[in-house]
This record gives sequence, structure tokens and C-alpha cells, in this order.
Amino acid sequence: MPDPLRTITAERVAALAAGATLLGSGGGGPVALGELLLRRALPRRGVIVRRARDLPLQAMVVHVGVFGAPDVLAERLINPADMAAAARAVVEQVGGELAAVGALEIGGLNALAAVLAAHELDLPIIDGDLMGRAFPSVYKTTMSVAGHPAAPVALVGPGGDTVVVPTCSDRLVGGLLDSAAAALGGLAALAIYPTSAATLASVGVPGTLSSCVSLGEAFLSAPAGDIPVLADRLGGSFIFQGRVDELRPREADAPGSVTLTGAGGSVARIDLLEEFLAVTVNGITLARTPDVIVVLSSTSGAVVGTAQVRLGQALGIVALPALHTWPPGSDAVVGPAAFGLDLDVVTR
Amino acid sequence: MLRLGIDVGDTNTDAVLVDESRVVAAASVATTPDINGGILRAITGLRTGPGFEHSQVAAVMIGTTHFSNALAEGTDLAQTAAIRFGLPATSAFPPLVDWPEGLRRAIGGHGYLCHGGNEYDGSRIDDFDEREVREAVGRALDAGARSFAISAVFSPVDAEFELRAAQIVSEVAPGAPISLSHEIGRMGLLGRENATIINAALRELAETVTTGLVRTVTEAGIRAPVFLSQNDGTLMDVDYARRYPVATFASGPTNSMRGAAFLSHQLDCAVIDVGGTTTHVGILQNGFPRGASADVRVADVQTNFRMPDVVSIGIGGGSHVSGDRPPRVGPDNVGYHLTERALVYGGDQLTATDLAVAAGLADIGDRRRVAHLDPAFVRAALDEVAVRLAEMVDRMRITADPLPVVAVGGASVLVPHQLEGASSVTRPEHFAVANAIGAAIAEVGGEVDRVYSVAPGRRDRVLDDARQEAIDRAVAAGAKPGSVRVIDLEEVPLAYLPGNATRIRVKAIGELSLGGDAHA
Repeated sequence: MPDPLRTITAERVAALAAGATLLGSGGGGPVALGELLLRRALPRRGVIVRRARDLPLQAMVVHVGVFGAPDVLAERLINPADMAAAARAVVEQVGGELAAVGALEIGGLNALAAVLAAHELDLPIIDGDLMGRAFPSVYKTTMSVAGHPAAPVALVGPGGDTVVVPTCSDRLVGGLLDSAAAALGGLAALAIYPTSAATLASVGVPGTLSSCVSLGEAFLSAPAGDIPVLADRLGGSFIFQGRVDELRPREADAPGSVTLTGAGGSVARIDLLEEFLAVTVNGITLARTPDVIVVLSSTSGAVVGTAQVRLGQALGIVALPALHTWPPGSDAVVGPAAFGLDLDVVTR
Repeated sequence: MLRLGIDVGDTNTDAVLVDESRVVAAASVATTPDINGGILRAITGLRTGPGFEHSQVAAVMIGTTHFSNALAEGTDLAQTAAIRFGLPATSAFPPLVDWPEGLRRAIGGHGYLCHGGNEYDGSRIDDFDEREVREAVGRALDAGARSFAISAVFSPVDAEFELRAAQIVSEVAPGAPISLSHEIGRMGLLGRENATIINAALRELAETVTTGLVRTVTEAGIRAPVFLSQNDGTLMDVDYARRYPVATFASGPTNSMRGAAFLSHQLDCAVIDVGGTTTHVGILQNGFPRGASADVRVADVQTNFRMPDVVSIGIGGGSHVSGDRPPRVGPDNVGYHLTERALVYGGDQLTATDLAVAAGLADIGDRRRVAHLDPAFVRAALDEVAVRLAEMVDRMRITADPLPVVAVGGASVLVPHQLEGASSVTRPEHFAVANAIGAAIAEVGGEVDRVYSVAPGRRDRVLDDARQEAIDRAVAAGAKPGSVRVIDLEEVPLAYLPGNATRIRVKAIGELSLGGDAHA
């Protein structure tokens, strides 16, 4: 485990963004938007990082981020003021005083969005998250698996339009938020999973903000172009290198895939929805959700997202172990089957 | 019917005459600061080869780095007003938010946010407020802005806000150049807006440059239409270039790779382009450059242009060679001054060109001036170059299989006949002017990248509309109507959104319409 972070300052932003990009597993939204705002905000005042177990037992934590469609994000952008408003709307429901902001997911834009929200509210950020990576559904969290409700939830649009859901089952929360976000133009600031520090200390994924920054530091300091060496530096495993031969787009909720051909005619298939979900090489599945799958350009060394894959590209694949151990039975929520994948043998 | 291709590089201006599939004549001269002097001399230089009738030239294609250089240096840029429709959204990211300070200052730093823009489904974020827009335009003019860049959230879905604002600007400031984001960039507000602002800042220069190019070609005695190379390797006519100068960016690597394919008849290979200071390596797939996956930064500004996937290294004909053992080549170089500084030209700096002459790979300058070099040292230095070139090819390669390599560029004699990992190394005839050849043989393209709401049962109709629009755009850009074909179609449903919103991207290309009236 890396040394825990004490504050997030401007100097940490590049590593935070790089780490969040890696942990996005090919999805998680445009990290660059959060990076740009943090670069402007943090020189004025850093954000204090606290571990959930170091806060008073009853201290209130709300998880804050953005919710909606990546294509809308790329046009309508994000606003920390909306995220702060969403957090306040949830606090109003729960009653009491907010002590710290938590990250819903440490992969992708939402890792940075939570830090921005904490900065906007002038509160500490929790060193941890609820997914240990990025997932496309708000209920794929350790909180849900442990039986804690997502509600009260608030969504806030750019004009201040606010939707508050005081109570909601896990079964309906995804659909309710999708409908509300669609009415708000497909994108909204989100506050969710209000909880106590004590609960978070027992069911959250601890230390992931620190892990994210140290992964990012390792990525930024690794020599460009050598993917096996990079995999080693990140503590992951190098899986494959090859050229994209075939792209099969997703159809609604059915995963799509990318097929690559490598040295000696070996073939890899990457299954994907918003994130890369599994890698199968010559018929054997070598990595699968909740493992984090990182796809990189062999030529530039840059991380390539699910929407950036093109025919003919030279790509390398690295798997990072999940940042924590999901309890038994979580596979139905975060495993391949939860995404409609039917993978036979898993060999690690 | 001949095509005259001209490449204006940082050091050399090359001209070629191409007849269908054959290079008829080629010339290379030093680039001049105003670019026109070099172009005129290069065209004149062609006459020293086999004679050609000026009336036979059906079209002139020019590739130039002039506009990207102007942006990189922050010179000759217009004071530009960036007006965006997005409020109450997007306020955390005002226009120019991610620009380097120096460049922002060079264009005046005038950014204005107005209410409106659209949602993904075409509904309005807020209503158009004419008074607010007039006030922004007035403030921009008072602040000294002369060129206008107008963007709106989701303008690729509906351009109404940009068009209404353009109407107001043209009333209030008649004749001021107006650049609209939905005509320039793709989805993604900041990248599209930045490309639009860059375009607006280059509009005054584009007026001067395109007028100069047309005049120069005419002065050279050629009465044929003038086209410029775009970043995707297609052509635009000179009136289009006047309005969209940003589209000339990064046409150089694409042209050199397309030229290499034409000269070598290799459609799948690595291309090594060795210039005066830098070597670029790219990959041709089916005759077209492999594209880069990530967004491209231009002069440190993020844009959403698609560029070829190219790796570069500081080795070229003018690279310094150190006397160390083992010797080091580059990245320091003599730049423009090869013909003064290199040993073979009587200078005092040992360069990569001197190595090539000493090894008998090239016969330029005075070879007696490098006769004193130790052959073992020369060999070791050239081997060092070969190893580093092979490393670059290796980085670009996808499989372990050996790959054919085509070497082009003025200093490509530095590429050895055998290269680690290459199945063959070809240096085609006219290798030095591959860039200009790539410009000469280019086709004309049209592209659509937009979000459509695809109602059930209407998918074919929507795709047909998008195809037709790409084809129409290619024809508008100068393609021969019957020859235009769709070469790329991408259909991506937007994730997490109802209403079947689908992003459709279509690219069409066709032969340049030469009209047959060039000699009328």
C-alpha cells in the first residue's frame, strides 16, 4: 500500500488524472475536464484528504460526482457549483452537517469530480471510493452489496433544476436516475449514498485515492513505448499486443468487442460496454471485471478508451488487479455475468 | 493534363509535375519567408527539365506549413472574439480557458458567454437573447476584435444559434470574417470551439496568403485552379482555404506518406521520411496513413482534429554528429544553414550529410572536405542512425512480422538498404519530393459528423441523408460529381440517452474536378 495522501495540491493533479484514467478501465468519462478545473482551482487552496476511520463515527459523508451520457459531458461540460448544490440537497434530506465528500467511483472523471466538489464545499475528501474502479451503474458499489441504500439521491442540472429522490430501491435507482437525467438533458451533477464515517469505514473501499495517485505517478514516470515494463511498474500483468482487426459495436445492452491479432497469429478479444470488461486470448479469459483492463496505444503509450478504438490501431493490453476484494456473491453485481457476458473458463 | 504539386516546407519548397501515374519533372529550392518567392522559383525550376506547356497544367496543389507555423509563433494572428452559446451550462469553462497564456494574448483574449445552445435532442438550453448577443458583439468590437469565432453547445445537432449570431455579426460588422464551429469541428465543445478560434485567428493571414498564392501561380504563367492540402490528405479549393485555413494543419506527414505509396506502389508499409532536422515514421494501410487515436494538440491547444499516427525523432540531414565513441547524431542541427555549415559545403560542423558523402551514399558539395574522416567512425555513426530508425519502425509495428519500408525525404540516403525488422527497404525515384507528389495526387473529400435522432424504421433514410450530405460537401469542395464515393461510415448510438440519438460520421472522397476548361 502506498503512503496515504494528506492533501491534494496542484502538483498532484497530473498523477490523479493519470491514475483515474487507468482505473477507468477504458471508460469513466473525460478525465481532462476535471483535470483542467482542478489545475485552476487547487493553486488557491488544496483539498484535505481524510480516511473514513479517522473521522468521528457519526460524521456525515455524501458521495458526489456527475451522472449521464459521455457525449453530453463532452458538449455541456461540468460545473462544481452544481455538484455542491446536489450535495446540499441530499444533506437537507438527511439533516445534520456534512463532514466530508466521498468519491462514488475512483475510475474516470468521477474521481476528479469528487475532489472538485470537496474543493467547492471547502470540505475534506475521503481517501476511498465505493467501486474501486469505474462502473456504468450507480448501484454497482460496495455499499449496495452490503445492503445500504443509495437514497436520498439528488440530481442538479445546469440551470439549478433539482430532482431529489428521498427513498428508492436498488432495483429502481438506475432507471429513476436515467429518466431524471434524460429530462435534464442527459447529464446532471449527482449526490448519492449519504452515510456515516463508521459505515463507510466498514464497507467503503479504503485508500483508493492514494492508490490512484501512486498509480498515476508510476504511469507518468514509466518509459514511453514499453508496455510490458509499464505493466510491471503498475503492479499489473501484460496480456497482449496486437493490431485491431475487427470492431463489433455493442447493441443496446449487449456488449460489443474488439478483436486484435498479434505475433504468430495469436488472437485477443476484448469485450466492452462503456468500459473494457474482459480479455480473452486464444480462447482463454485472462482478465475480467472487476479487474481493471487498461488498453494503450503501442506507438504513443497513451491510454485508449472504449470510444477511441479504431481499425488498424496498434494496441497493448494490461490488466490491473481490482483495488480490493469483493465479498463472495458480488459476481452477480460486478462480474462478467452482470454485463451479459458468458465467459467459460477463467484462468489466472 | 498535368497536375502541379508544390510542398512548402520549413526549409525547402518542392515542385513536381505529375501526369496520371508518372512524375514528369521535379524541382527543389530554398523556402522564402513570404513563401511566394520560393514557389515562383520552384515552378521556374521545373522548366529546366523536359519542357511543358503551361496550358497543360490542369490544377495546382499546394501543401504548406505556413498557417500552423503562424499559430506556433503567435504571429500574424487576428484579434479574435470567441462567442459561445451555452449558458447556464459551460460557465466553469469560459472560451480560451485551456489556451497557453502567450497565444491567448496574441489573439486578444476576447471570450464571451451567451445564453442558449441546444441539448442533444435539439431542444434549446435557453432561448436566443438578441440583446445579449448584440451587446457581446459590441463589446468585442470595442475591444478591438476583427474576426469572430462562434460556437454553441451541440451545434452539430442544430446550428440555429451559430447561424443567428452570424447574421447579427454581419449586420453590425459588415465584412468581418465569421467562423462557425458546426462547419469546422466535430462533437466535443472545447476541441471544436478551439479549432474554430484558431481558424478565426488565421482568417486575415489566409486572405493574404491565398491571394499571394493565386497571384504567384498566375505570375508563373499558369492559368489553372489552385488547391490546398488538408490534414486528412484531401484537397480544398482556394476559396474554401480562405475561409477554413485551419484545415491545412498537419497536411505534411499525410502528403509524404501518400506520395511514398504512389512512388513505391506499396499500399501497406512503414514510411520513413527523413528531412533536414527531423525524421517521421508512419504506417500506410491500404494506401492511407494510419490515424492517431487521441485528440491532437496544436500549438498546445486541444483540438479534435484527426491526424495521422506518426512518431518523430531529431535526426535529419542537418543533424550535428559528435566525435564521441560511439558517435551521437542529433538532435542538435544546423537548421536552415546546411549549405553554409556542413563540412562538404566548406563549413566547420560535422553533419549527417557529411557522413553520407563520406560513405559514398550521396554526392553533394565537395567530397574532398570529408576525405579525412575515419571510415570506421563514419560507419559507426551511420550504424547508430540505422539502429535508431529501426527502433522507430519497431514502435510503429504491430506484429513481429517483417514489414516493407519505404524511405522518402531529402536526407533519406541515411536509411540503410537493410534495416533490422524490415522485409525490404525501398527508396523510390523522386524520393526527395514525395511531399509534393502526395499533394499533386490528392483527391477531394467531404465529411459529416453529427448527432441524429433516428426514429424507428427511419435508420436507412437517416444514413442516406448523411451519406448524401458528405457527398454534397465533397462536390462543393471541388470533387467531380460522378466520382465521389463513401469511404468511411461510422454509426454510434449515444450511450445512456433515450430517443435513439445516434452519432453518424461519414467521409466521402472523389476525384478532383478538373473541368477541362483549364485551357479555355
